[in-house]
Amino acid sequence: MGIGGFSLSNLSIEAKVGVFVIIGMIILGYMSMRLGKLGFKMDQGFEVKVYFDSASGLEEDVSVEIAGVEVGRVSKILLEDGKALVILRIDSNVKLRKDVKALIKSRGILGDKYVVLIQGSPAAPLIEPNGRIISTTTATDLESLMNVLGDVAKDISRLTQSFANVMGGEKGEASLRSIIDSMKAVAETLNRTVQENNKGLVKIITNLSEFSATINEISSKINKGEGSIGKLINEEDTVKRLNGTLASLKEITEKINRGEGSLGKLINEEETVENINSTLTSINDYMQKQESFRTYLDYRGEYLFDSEEVKSYLTLRIQPREDKYYLLQIVDDPSGVESETDITTTTNGVTTTEHIEKNEKNKIKFSAQIAKRYYDLGLRGGIFESTGGFAFDYYLFKDRLTLSLEAFDFDSDSNAHLKFKADFTPFKHLYITSGFDDFISDKGNESFFIGAGINFLDDDLKTLLSNLPF
Amino acid sequence: MIRFLEFAGRPLVFFIEECGRIMLLLLSTISWMFRPPFRFRVIFKQMEFVGVNSVGVVLITGAFTGMVLALQTYHGFKMFGGESLVGSTLALAMTRELGPVFTALMVTGRVGSAMAAELGTMKVTEQIDALNTMSVNPIQYLVMPRIIAAILMLPVLTIISDFVGIVGGYFVGVNLLKINSGIFIAKIIDIVDLDDIFNGLIKAAFFGLILSLVGCYKGIYTIGGAEGVGRATTQSVVLSSILIFISDYFLTAVMF
Amino acid sequence: MIKLIKISKSFNSQKVLDELDLNIDPEKITVIIGQSGGGKSVLLKHIIGLIRPDSGQIIIDKIDITNLNDKKLNEVRKKFGMLFQDAALFDSMTVGENVAFPLNEHTRLSRKEINKIVNEKLNLVGLENVIHKMPSELSGGMRKRVGLARAIALDPKIVLFDEPTTGLDPIMRESVDELIVATQKRTKATFVIISHDIESTFTIAHKVAMLYQGKIVAVGTPDEIRSSNNSFVKRFIRDLRI
Repeated sequence: MGIGGFSLSNLSIEAKVGVFVIIGMIILGYMSMRLGKLGFKMDQGFEVKVYFDSASGLEEDVSVEIAGVEVGRVSKILLEDGKALVILRIDSNVKLRKDVKALIKSRGILGDKYVVLIQGSPAAPLIEPNGRIISTTTATDLESLMNVLGDVAKDISRLTQSFANVMGGEKGEASLRSIIDSMKAVAETLNRTVQENNKGLVKIITNLSEFSATINEISSKINKGEGSIGKLINEEDTVKRLNGTLASLKEITEKINRGEGSLGKLINEEETVENINSTLTSINDYMQKQESFRTYLDYRGEYLFDSEEVKSYLTLRIQPREDKYYLLQIVDDPSGVESETDITTTTNGVTTTEHIEKNEKNKIKFSAQIAKRYYDLGLRGGIFESTGGFAFDYYLFKDRLTLSLEAFDFDSDSNAHLKFKADFTPFKHLYITSGFDDFISDKGNESFFIGAGINFLDDDLKTLLSNLPF
Repeated sequence: MIRFLEFAGRPLVFFIEECGRIMLLLLSTISWMFRPPFRFRVIFKQMEFVGVNSVGVVLITGAFTGMVLALQTYHGFKMFGGESLVGSTLALAMTRELGPVFTALMVTGRVGSAMAAELGTMKVTEQIDALNTMSVNPIQYLVMPRIIAAILMLPVLTIISDFVGIVGGYFVGVNLLKINSGIFIAKIIDIVDLDDIFNGLIKAAFFGLILSLVGCYKGIYTIGGAEGVGRATTQSVVLSSILIFISDYFLTAVMF
Repeated sequence: MIKLIKISKSFNSQKVLDELDLNIDPEKITVIIGQSGGGKSVLLKHIIGLIRPDSGQIIIDKIDITNLNDKKLNEVRKKFGMLFQDAALFDSMTVGENVAFPLNEHTRLSRKEINKIVNEKLNLVGLENVIHKMPSELSGGMRKRVGLARAIALDPKIVLFDEPTTGLDPIMRESVDELIVATQKRTKATFVIISHDIESTFTIAHKVAMLYQGKIVAVGTPDEIRSSNNSFVKRFIRDLRI
């Protein structure tokens, strides 16, 4: 790797790496600028709209040209009222006249589409920014033109071929002649038939006329109530009977209304109503109580970066009111508890007693706390990880984010255990947490942590449990 | 039948186990990244080793890759009169694939193997244990700086490789094969996107992670004296190369 | 100073340490002797927390390190210096940088002060003018001396030695032994040495502990061990001499 080694060898490592990175950045910058899509061009230009019947094959960011010179890019292609709305970004030093014409053209054998503008007369007024180019043509592209031409050619060839088959040769000629002869014969026969049957036709028409007259007569009879159908429809009796039925129905409902009859009594009795009402009220009350009384079961794990271990919490939260709850917690603490014990050993008959600092791993601790909430601020107090303590919680973003500061373990011989954490609940039942545990520790326990938790409301638990197969 | 399954399954289980251990090493590297002390000098030293000292190899492979690509594509495109596409094909291939992959392979051979050999030697001569007894975490002191250096330096080497590859291709295409220089460059500018370059660089950073992680892994788990160091070195190059090709496919599928 | 209580450790179901009990006195040289492959190195690695026991307790300077996490263990390890069998010098660093390494890592001393300590420690082990050499340029005995200089750079309370005389010629062996005794006198640290070299053990040890089949079978001063009437101890010594 002799390259770069000759004069750089006296440089410090940092300088070498720096030079190297700068060279890389320069190359990257150069390439980006040449590709021109990042560009330091501050000229934003102006936009004009064009409506095309079809923008098929047109892409955003392709060039817009006048007389083969790029004057801008296609900045957006949208659909509006079944037409393609193409927004062009034109360099600001280019002047477009109102009668400018826009068309989509394709380039090369691969047919990449681009937009061509054809300038109008110099006398016409200028188009303003965000104005519209009215005159458009969609140039037929090479490919579809080829396709259509091909189809046309195929059809023509098929047609001519069949013609050739029919007409070609003597046989064809003869058959053509016989066709014409038979057509002639048909026409003559038709003529004759019409003339011979003239009388019959007249008779048919007369019959039809008589039939329609008869129908007319029948319908007028029904109207007047004559004949059996007419009678049924027009009889006064029928109407009376129907009326009577309706009247008795009415009577029954009125009876019920007045509380007469057994059904009526049941429905109209005041007592019944009261009974039902009070039942409803008590159900309601019960439901309300149930609503505010909630029990949560919660598990959270925190990964402590410094000790590379997970601290777990299993929590039961009983919440009788919206602003108050009790918390019972089991904590599995991998950093354990430090205790001091005396170890007595006997070696070679000599008994020695030593005072030992001991670290018990995976010690289970307990918490029991009472919490009260005032608006967005919560206060907690009680037992924290088997020692006394208190905490503040601050609720943000509709309780989705909770910031907490806990202070406990106020032992006289070491600093208090302070813990800051932030819980964020992106989804129902699931939350993520991060913070700093024991950050003023004088025993090297301070650690950044991240973690996650899951919680269930009692109802969710019920649903879960009832779905278990036992 | 069962014996056959065992025979076929064992290497697979071994490979999966190995990947798992590599992931664990990565996790613990990440966790050591945010803990003091921060030894910037050690990182810079590795950056020099991975980056600056690899420039020569990368320049040569990059330039010749570009040149041979120009030569080969020219003959293909000439058949239907598309010589003007040589430049853009070359530039696309370099920025998307050949730049990152060839750079990563060269650096694997030069740096990944050296990492495995160095850490392997340290392991078998108890230098890693010595670090531990001196209350210095070997992952933080040895592995983390190498991985950071490789992740940062691979993109820089790749952009250099991209550039000299295109320049080499330009030299062959324009000076030897007489493609019009204006069209050569215009087509590159027309077809290559900035995203092509950046995605290539992201790939490169990922390959840097792979080759350094595998090199360190093979190094710190070396057993069996000098012979073991040799084995670790070879294995690290083979495993890195395989993982680079496999991940290249998936990265490409995701990105482009 | 160091207390091992009922330490057991198995590798692949093979029991290497079996309810081992050992007390190491402060400010003395304790030599643990035993056959090669008899678990001596494993025992040493337990003391410095490189290996955790399957069961039992390890107490260092009144701190139970059995279940400490890495961070706290690192704090305890700062009380230790260790000389490895082949010195385990960092071969990418010069001799001076090797000795300065623990000082750079764990103290906030200036470069000048560190240089002073490095020179002092190298003088102590009888080496001069090698500060800018690379470890690969040194002989085996010199490397051990550099290793010792590095091990005592932070003035540790406990220094561990892994087979300090193995692989040296008899003259070098003697000079290393002398160096260990002299250094211990100067530093007043607790030295724990594992060895299978019975001769040098009797010359340097204040106390000898015999490791046999995963247990400490005898503890005593060199004289006590030498004049022991216990046939087992006698055979043990005879076997090691061969």
